[in-house]
Amino acid sequence: MQTIKFSLVILFGITFIFPQIKLDVNTIPKKVDIHLDGVNIGSSPIRNERITPGVHKFEIKKKGYAPLTYDLLVNPAQAIELDFFLNPIYECKFKTEEKGLVFELNGEHRWDVDLVRLKLEAGDHLLRVFKIGEIIDEQTIRVDQPKKYNYFLKKPLGLSN
Amino acid sequence: MNRIRQYLFTISLVILLSGCSSFKGPLYPDIIYNNRQPLISVTYEYGEIQLILPLRYDAAVPDNILFKVFAQGDTLRPIISILQEAPKEFLAYLPQGVLDIQNSTNLIKIIPQDKNFDPVTVRFKGISFGRIVLPPKTIRIGQLVVSGNTYFNSNDSMITNVDVSIQNFDNVIYTTRSNELGFYQLAIPGEYRYAEHLRVVAGENLIFKPYTKKLDFSNNRKLKLDIGIGPSRDMVEPIYLTNKDNVHFRDGPEIGSETLFLLKEGEAISVDRVTLGEYFGSIEVEIDNSKRVKMKGWINRGDLRLVNMHNVYRLPKGN
Repeated sequence: MQTIKFSLVILFGITFIFPQIKLDVNTIPKKVDIHLDGVNIGSSPIRNERITPGVHKFEIKKKGYAPLTYDLLVNPAQAIELDFFLNPIYECKFKTEEKGLVFELNGEHRWDVDLVRLKLEAGDHLLRVFKIGEIIDEQTIRVDQPKKYNYFLKKPLGLSN
Repeated sequence: MNRIRQYLFTISLVILLSGCSSFKGPLYPDIIYNNRQPLISVTYEYGEIQLILPLRYDAAVPDNILFKVFAQGDTLRPIISILQEAPKEFLAYLPQGVLDIQNSTNLIKIIPQDKNFDPVTVRFKGISFGRIVLPPKTIRIGQLVVSGNTYFNSNDSMITNVDVSIQNFDNVIYTTRSNELGFYQLAIPGEYRYAEHLRVVAGENLIFKPYTKKLDFSNNRKLKLDIGIGPSRDMVEPIYLTNKDNVHFRDGPEIGSETLFLLKEGEAISVDRVTLGEYFGSIEVEIDNSKRVKMKGWINRGDLRLVNMHNVYRLPKGN
């Protein structure tokens, strides 16, 4: 009983000292689970949620999109509205007829087969091509839709249907 | 036969699947992120504070009032100043977050633009945003103050412990007593400012006729008034005092002579001559509320008693 009273007093104190701010969250795409400070506050769009001033962490995960983590210092205000635009992940094919090449994306992902399917976050990726341990080509791939890329040595990456 | 069909179907399926797989290629096991900054839009909506202070006026209303709102104990830089005609309700809109919401260090300074009123301060605790309605505040006309010293008219020396009161008609509003330095000060509510029968009465605890003077606060709320008690230095001894009210001060000793004044108890008479039943002497009469002139006349001996100037205080009743 004492513990409950103490908790209520603390809760009241916190509420009193840190007045709450109305929180609305929108996402593109919709119907995404939103985690605020590790707690699932529901599926977007979120309306009339409450948040206190201070630092908070938003985490958003949805299949087919890059996970998003955002630390926000919330200022004292009447209301705050957040719009998150999730970055999609596209499935692409990468093909080459060159022999003996090793491909690397973003400095960490490597393969050496002539045809591979890749799940790529939309945006720019750095492709480096190695042959017998030496870089022989480097170029940027812009991913904005599901694509099939045909690689020819030292030529800009071409698309194929 | 059936078993052969089953084997053929399985072999066909394996060939078909391996063929499709070889066409699609293997799937790279990890999702490849490029750590692109996410697109995020943050929109704040700031509220405002509606501050309401109902005002009431007692007896008089100033023409204009200057309101100054200070926050967080800073009394130098107001966050807002508003000069307006005396309202029934002071209303101000403040930006969110300017007030101290922990303690009552925010204040409204109400400065009536009228010298008859004193400034008033209202302290309050703030909120982040929303509406604050403060308890009503009454604006009163400033206090009327009269102060000065009590002294003997005969030698200008200070006289202490003299009862001094302010009266309206015969109603005593406030009473005090001069201190060991002869100083007194009286303050009464400002609503008496225009009372026409306001007067100060001093020396009711003395053997002399009490000092009475009409007070006029119409030009000034604070008056300085030194109160001279007893006969002046022009009154030569022996000094007698009337021992009752309505003592006849006549122009001759004979019966039927004209009565010049009816004297109150404690009036001082400087006696020049004595007859069997009458005293002849002079009294001081104040004219034009300040100038004192001497007048001569006759008084019945039984209406007078000799003054002991060493003890001018009345004995308490019963002694």
